[in-house]
Amino acid sequence: MQFQRISKAYGQNCIFDEFSLEITKRTILSVVGPSGEGKTTLLQIAAGLIQPDSGIVIKEVEEEGSISYLFQEPRLLPFSTVFTNVELALRSFLSNKKEREESALHYLRMVGLADSMGLYPDQLSGGMRQRVAIARAFAHPSKLMLLDEPFQSLDIKLKVTLVNSFLRLWEESPRTTLFVTHDPKEAILLGDAVCCLGDPKKPLLYQQIHIPRNARNIGDQTLLALEASLVQTLVGA
Amino acid sequence: MSSLKRSLILFFSSAFLLLLWQVGSVMLDSQILLPGLGPVFSALVELVRQKPFTTNVFSTVVRALESFLIIVASATVIGIAAGRYPLLSLALKPFVTVLKAIPVMSIILLAFIWFTSGTVPLFSAFLMGFPVMYVQIEGGVRQKDRLLDEMCRLYDIHGKDKLIHYTIPSLLPFFVIGSRATLSMVWKVVIAAEVLTVPRFGVGSRMQLAQVQLETDQVLSWTLIAILLTALGDLLFDSLAWSLRKLKKHVDARRVECSSKG
Repeated sequence: MQFQRISKAYGQNCIFDEFSLEITKRTILSVVGPSGEGKTTLLQIAAGLIQPDSGIVIKEVEEEGSISYLFQEPRLLPFSTVFTNVELALRSFLSNKKEREESALHYLRMVGLADSMGLYPDQLSGGMRQRVAIARAFAHPSKLMLLDEPFQSLDIKLKVTLVNSFLRLWEESPRTTLFVTHDPKEAILLGDAVCCLGDPKKPLLYQQIHIPRNARNIGDQTLLALEASLVQTLVGA
Repeated sequence: MSSLKRSLILFFSSAFLLLLWQVGSVMLDSQILLPGLGPVFSALVELVRQKPFTTNVFSTVVRALESFLIIVASATVIGIAAGRYPLLSLALKPFVTVLKAIPVMSIILLAFIWFTSGTVPLFSAFLMGFPVMYVQIEGGVRQKDRLLDEMCRLYDIHGKDKLIHYTIPSLLPFFVIGSRATLSMVWKVVIAAEVLTVPRFGVGSRMQLAQVQLETDQVLSWTLIAILLTALGDLLFDSLAWSLRKLKKHVDARRVECSSKG
């Protein structure tokens, strides 16, 4: 997917000015940046929720179609069970009820919620709700995945559990993913590449990460150096 | 709060109300101004035994239900449309404001000039009850969660699925609150209109006749019947809402059970 020379301004506030960025097919691009520098705008343009003032978004054939969007909050339907919340995301694509139910069940098992599928969102903890949202995002047969800080404001243990659930599902069904976060560590652990916003014209930093995801350790010298340069860029932005 | 504690509080506050009534009656010492509990309950038993009692109550109930159903159907449709289209909401605003502000008696008196006595309660109740229901439904549609709407769009949840799993459940609380308030309003207006227009049968007609003959015990007996009708309406609503919630949970649980068994 490519953002080609996109511009977007809210009144006098210019967010993007002929900004270009490319995400390699079936990889995760982590996007970090200070608040108000266009991280969510970038996702919304990718999702087609807002249109750029100029410029285009080019998607490859296999990235066209539905989108899975993981929001900052789980956005579950409050009157439907965990199971129905996931299964509903499949209805437009799978007409066979049995296949649909099996698929929903599979993703709920993958996030460890098979025993809670009869519960309603208000009966779940915050972490469980976000796991349902992850299961729904993967159950939805999309080609493009957009993540808007879905792990923010969670304690470290829960964050690790959710990141692991996410990665397990992503490895099973890799999709082009744009992952927006405030946290440089999260960005490095999940991304195949990391990009830092802060200048409307171009990314302040763009770095590929060649270490395989399952071999990454945040104590690793290369990753520590990348984290330090990300932090430095963010502070200077 | 436990249900026992709730019941005890309700019991004692009702008993206090009856005690106030009895004390007032003893102090005034006048069967015309305020008869005591005993004579009123005797009059009530006597009324229930008389043959036209059922016809009187039935006529009022039919008028109230007719108006109520017309209000619910029309205000729901128009309220949903106004919630979705701000221009329609704006166009309806003067009508709704006038209906909310106009005194009940003005409507009843005007309706009495225009229609026959049997139609007046129906017409007046409609005009008074419509804005109550309309405001709730319109507000419900407007307050729909924009974020959930966006989620439904992105996850391709459309049409029937969106209606059943999102739109109807999110509107239901507004519908129940609006219906309850409307029904309470409808009882009051229908009976008030019957008092003024005196149709052949009706709780309000009987009240008016009793008042003319200074039979205060009968006026109070009919008032108690009107209160009972309102309370029964509320109870019916609560039971209906409870049964629907229970049924939905049962259907959901059954679905999950079937799916997990594969």
